[in-house]
Amino acid sequence: MLKTEGLGYWYQDKSEPLFQDINLTFEVGQSYAILGHSGTGKTTFLSLIAGLDKPKAGDILLDDRLLKKIGLTTYRRHDVSIVFQAYNLFTYMSPLNNLLTAMAITEAEHAGDKHFALRTLNDLGINEDLATRNVQHLSGGQQQRVAIARTMACDAQLVVADEPTGNLDEDNTKEVIAQFQKIAHDRQKCVIIVTHEPDVAAQCDHQYRLENKQFTQLA
Amino acid sequence: MNFFKRAWLNVWAKKGRSVLLILVSSAILMFVLAGLLIRSAAVKATDQAKADVGATVTLSANRQAAFKKMQSSSSSTSKSSRPKMTLTPVKLSDATKISQLSNVKSTNVTSSTTVNAKSYDVVSTSTGMGSSNGGGPGGMKSSASTGDTQIDGVTATSLTTAFSNSQSKITKGRGITAADKNTNNVVIEKDLASQNDLTVGDTITVKETAGDKAKVKLKIVGIYKASSTSTSASPMSADPANTMYTSYTLANTFKGSKYANTADSVTFNISNPAKVSSVKKAGKQLINTSKYALSTDDASYQTVKASMANVKSFANKIVWLVAIAGTIILALIVILMIRERRFEIGVLLSLGEARWKIMAQFFTEMLMVIVVAVAIAGAGGKFVGDQLGSQLVSQSTTTQTTATSSTGQPGGSGQPGGTRGGAGGPGSTNATTSAKAADTDLDISVSAVDLAELGGFGLAITFLSIMIASGGILRLEPKKVLIS
Ligand SMILES: Nc1ncnc2c1ncn2[C@@H]1O[C@H](COP(=O)(O)OP(=O)(O)OP(=O)(O)O)[C@@H](O)[C@H]1O
Ligand SMILES: [Mg+2]
Repeated sequence: MLKTEGLGYWYQDKSEPLFQDINLTFEVGQSYAILGHSGTGKTTFLSLIAGLDKPKAGDILLDDRLLKKIGLTTYRRHDVSIVFQAYNLFTYMSPLNNLLTAMAITEAEHAGDKHFALRTLNDLGINEDLATRNVQHLSGGQQQRVAIARTMACDAQLVVADEPTGNLDEDNTKEVIAQFQKIAHDRQKCVIIVTHEPDVAAQCDHQYRLENKQFTQLA
Repeated sequence: MNFFKRAWLNVWAKKGRSVLLILVSSAILMFVLAGLLIRSAAVKATDQAKADVGATVTLSANRQAAFKKMQSSSSSTSKSSRPKMTLTPVKLSDATKISQLSNVKSTNVTSSTTVNAKSYDVVSTSTGMGSSNGGGPGGMKSSASTGDTQIDGVTATSLTTAFSNSQSKITKGRGITAADKNTNNVVIEKDLASQNDLTVGDTITVKETAGDKAKVKLKIVGIYKASSTSTSASPMSADPANTMYTSYTLANTFKGSKYANTADSVTFNISNPAKVSSVKKAGKQLINTSKYALSTDDASYQTVKASMANVKSFANKIVWLVAIAGTIILALIVILMIRERRFEIGVLLSLGEARWKIMAQFFTEMLMVIVVAVAIAGAGGKFVGDQLGSQLVSQSTTTQTTATSSTGQPGGSGQPGGTRGGAGGPGSTNATTSAKAADTDLDISVSAVDLAELGGFGLAITFLSIMIASGGILRLEPKKVLIS
């Protein structure tokens, strides 16, 4: 569903790219983990996939349509859902309003459906009491689950996450990764997770390592 | 609109910050309102001054032309007799024509003369000839061409400067009105009345100084009190208490038959002081300017206008300075706010929200704050405006008063000085100006228009500050949220 063709990126110096000539394909119903040392450019790659930045070389295609043709804002609104390591949520809202806001902005099928939002949160262990408090009164694990619930409530086919478990303990990490797997398998979405934890990567269907400006698939 | 809901949730959730913003905005808007209030009060006061203070155009003999004529005749004639300056009395037919011009509100005909007391004693100043000559009813003075009683013939006392300025006041009975034309009704001064035990309804007798020196009976219809400031008034009649008001027709009768339908001067009250010069121009077309002159007096109006123009321009400066400073302050606050909220903006952008809607959210948040601030400023602005307004008026009128009193003093009381020729010359009423200007208190009240204007300013300040700060939103790269 998502394809990169000769993708390359550099910050200042063209002769020192972070990665170049990347040709990868990501499919729906699958989960992908991207591993790599710090500073190799994992987050940068993800920002291209997520439509937060434009590639310096090559193209990204969604179902054979060029991203730059779709328009990055439209792409972000309708086709991709992002989970960051932190600061995912609107701090002045409840989890419920966070979901409703995201659903409204992305023009999701269930936009405005409060019960649907509450049900989605409940599926991730956020009961109605938690769902109507301010998000700042939730634990880190709970907040990350709200962020995952948000990607579920929106209709985007592609879910990208940058170190979603970076701030979580072991139990919460397991739980969150299990949820991502569910999103990929049960909801038939394409999930791409950047992580530096091999345990997390191991739970995903496919693993890639970014090394020496290239992506290599691990066995 | 989702950004509207977000704005509301944000303002509500961050109450402390919202209250702080409301306080800052209120303070800014309060000063804007104070400026607006003073300005609108100054405009109101100027309009009021137009109606109250009024201005006049006076038709009188052309003294300058007469003086020149006298000089030339004295040099050309071989006679050694003293040359006489002849002032042509104003023709009432000319006055009627001018009175029909637009903007002429009312017309006051003035004709003055003197008579001698017959049935009463004049009030004599304690100095000089002594007060004991009360017994002789004016006998020894009667030969002189100047009598002991000043007769001010008018159309109506209420139209004279002395009465319209409340320097003189009717204390009993009534003043002379247009209905007193061709009657022998008279209004006498309080001191004269009490000295001679006269009251309204009594009759007094005077003796003419001109012609057959006939005795004439006058009926007292009113008693007035001359202001103490007019004491120094005239060098001719000994005491202002000896001035009587009659209809100008009676004064003309005293002067002699050839004075019928004439006047010393005719004063036209102009409804809109700003139109004084146009009335004068139009009036000049109607008269023989070699014999008559039209003089204007809108000094009172000009003084109030100048004083209010000062206040107005000061208020304008306050409004704009505060508005600009307020915009800058709010813009800085919004810039800081946007910085502090860059993660939120990043999440919005990553969800695919349009940048203009993010700006709209910030604008809506500020708008909610401003609406409350306008209400608070509306309540508080009156207080600030009151303080500032009274301060300003007292300052500007004291400067104006010192300015006018230095020029206005020689004219003195502003009594219609009929026999003294060109009555109502620019100097004569200036002294009243300061009194009027001081009366012009700034009436400060918050009207719906003021609030609407304040709301407009609030809106503009909010809009501009968001625009200035919007660079922060427009430049923010959503990727920065990922890589922090
Ligand atoms: N705006 C920028 N300008 C210049 N260099 C940048 C910029 N952002 C990132 N870099 C550099 O690009 C390289 C890749 O950064 P990136 O954040 O993609 O790495 P990463 O693989 O996600 O690392 P980590 O595992 O620590 O998150 C780093 O060396 C970083 O210093
Ligand atoms: Mg990273």
